[in-house]
Amino acid sequence: MRLLIVEDDRDAADYVARAFREVGHVADLAADGEEGLALALDRSYDVLVIDRMLPKRDGLSLIGELRAKDIETPALILSALGQVDDRVKGLRAGGDDYLPKPYSFSELLARVEVLARRRGGREETIYRVGNLELDRLSHRVTRGEEEIVLQPREFRLLEYLMRHAGQVVTRTMLLENVWDYHFDPQTNVIDVHISRLRSKIDKGFGQPLLHTIRGAGYMVRA
Amino acid sequence: MTAFGKLFRTTAFKLTLVYLVVFSLFAAFLLAYFALNTRRLINEQITTAVDEEISGLSQHYNRGGIRRLLFVIDARSRRPGSSLYLLTTFTGDRLAGNVAQVGEGVLDRSGWVETPYRRTEESEDAAYALVRVYQLPGGFRLLVGRDLEERERLYAVVMAAGWWSIAIVIVLGLAGGFLVARRMLRRVDGMTETTRTIMAGDLSERLPVVGSEDELDRLAVNLNAMLERIEALMRGFREVSDNIAHDLKTPLTRLRNRAEDALRTASSDEDYRAALQSTIDESDDLIRTFNALLLIARAESGGASTHMDSIDAAEIAHGVGELYEPLADEKGVTLKVAAEGPLAFVGNRELVTQALANLVDNAIKYAGGETPSEIVIRSAIDGARVRLEVADRGPGIAAEDRARAIERFVRLERSRSEPGAGLGLSLVAAVARLHGGELILEDNAPGLRSVLSLPTNGPALPASGRSEEQA
Repeated sequence: MRLLIVEDDRDAADYVARAFREVGHVADLAADGEEGLALALDRSYDVLVIDRMLPKRDGLSLIGELRAKDIETPALILSALGQVDDRVKGLRAGGDDYLPKPYSFSELLARVEVLARRRGGREETIYRVGNLELDRLSHRVTRGEEEIVLQPREFRLLEYLMRHAGQVVTRTMLLENVWDYHFDPQTNVIDVHISRLRSKIDKGFGQPLLHTIRGAGYMVRA
Repeated sequence: MTAFGKLFRTTAFKLTLVYLVVFSLFAAFLLAYFALNTRRLINEQITTAVDEEISGLSQHYNRGGIRRLLFVIDARSRRPGSSLYLLTTFTGDRLAGNVAQVGEGVLDRSGWVETPYRRTEESEDAAYALVRVYQLPGGFRLLVGRDLEERERLYAVVMAAGWWSIAIVIVLGLAGGFLVARRMLRRVDGMTETTRTIMAGDLSERLPVVGSEDELDRLAVNLNAMLERIEALMRGFREVSDNIAHDLKTPLTRLRNRAEDALRTASSDEDYRAALQSTIDESDDLIRTFNALLLIARAESGGASTHMDSIDAAEIAHGVGELYEPLADEKGVTLKVAAEGPLAFVGNRELVTQALANLVDNAIKYAGGETPSEIVIRSAIDGARVRLEVADRGPGIAAEDRARAIERFVRLERSRSEPGAGLGLSLVAAVARLHGGELILEDNAPGLRSVLSLPTNGPALPASGRSEEQA
């Protein structure tokens, strides 16, 4: 995957770029808004990671300019402004995801990979992982021959995890996408939901499909 | 600038000057109009009277010849307050009348003329008269006229009155302008003085309001409302920085100590890994604390930038209930939601949800006890307020500790052993304030009932300082 990181803090940019390269991605760096715009127009990227406050041209205007030129590369906005209204403003300006600073790299990586994947491919109606099957139209979940009965929220949780099968999904991503909450609950409520879901889809089936990725989040994988 | 110079520069004084000029011009115009018209009127009276006399005299002449005319003129000349008469031959020799002398050449032309004259029976001093010279058949010249002294006297009286009135207008106007300007200046100076004190850093100072409800008073009231707001904001900022200094330094010190300790004592990769992991955990906690602090500060400094929508309290209650139900279940607590929707009110969904989640989180934290416990999330509309309450059967908070529990960072002695930064309740209180509502802690006998009471119409605008036009 090829990334463009537009960030004026040299240290932070270098660290993030190095970390992306370590996991096998290609990352270009731009130190200000104009340079970022030039690179984004010139080359083809899978995901743009853009700091909101940049010298010469701010992040939101950069994204606005790209969208005006019909460049729909998914963009993740990094920002020190983490309030609800700021996030809404960022997404309205054409950003696809919003991550307040400070963030952990695993969170950033998980979100970037999800954004990159989202790009191509149409939505399937049936998700399959191993012998686990989720039908999005009939809302039926089966594992092998056995039908699994899920609560509506458990269904949405599993649906999100299976749509991103093979990818790490963080707790905040689940809270944002499954519950549409953008705050940080003090206790890790998500873990309890996951363990409930796990007891329904994995318990007694031998091979576990819902994995906990330490320090990052969860992943559904055969 | 001298005090006098300042006075001259005031708007009030300048306005006075403008008015003064306008009024003076008006008075002068009025005066000129009056004077000219008086003059015209008197002239008209004279000409009419003289014309009549001439026509009468020429009739006498036509009927009785020069003798009769001489007789009549003689008779009329002797009457007191008579007109002026002069009858001469065609060579200019005087035949009759009460005029001794007129201006040179006056008798040679027929028609109207203003001329100096002298009466026969009077001394030297010449007066002015308006006269008409008339050629009688037979070469005789008849002059009839009226003295103009009356006209000139009236004219002089009108002019004098006019000048006096202009002088009085100017004097009164200047004095009035001076007084008004000085009064304005004194009040503005008072305001300027106060502003200086405020700029010097004393935000508790307020502009003087005299109570006359004039435009200056309205301005002062509005500025005071603004100052009130600024002071509240500044207080918020100061409290935040105090709290940050006080409550972030402790965990930061801990973080630093741990890193230092690892550097000194760790001997294996395993040790380093553990130390780094705990450093990350610690900094995550710090970030969480910091975010909560920012949110509280923002809530307290007013929510001008917070987006408010019409939202449903029942939906929020069910959402939070659903989010926490597994956690409660795991802790052996029954979590129930009693909310019949929709319960519409104006607020920020995200913040209210977070506040309610905090209350439930707290309730679950403290509910864990010996007996099977129960937590109820209840939501209802009560008049113009919406109530979102969380009732638990935990240890509760003693009545005397309740107010303190809402203050930032205060953790009650009894709950020291539980995890959490102690920001929970103060954050909820801040969200309540942001919505123009309040957080009330009640006795659930036993247990604690935390009530988020919010106005259904959203936060009211600050009432003071709105001008009447808008009200």
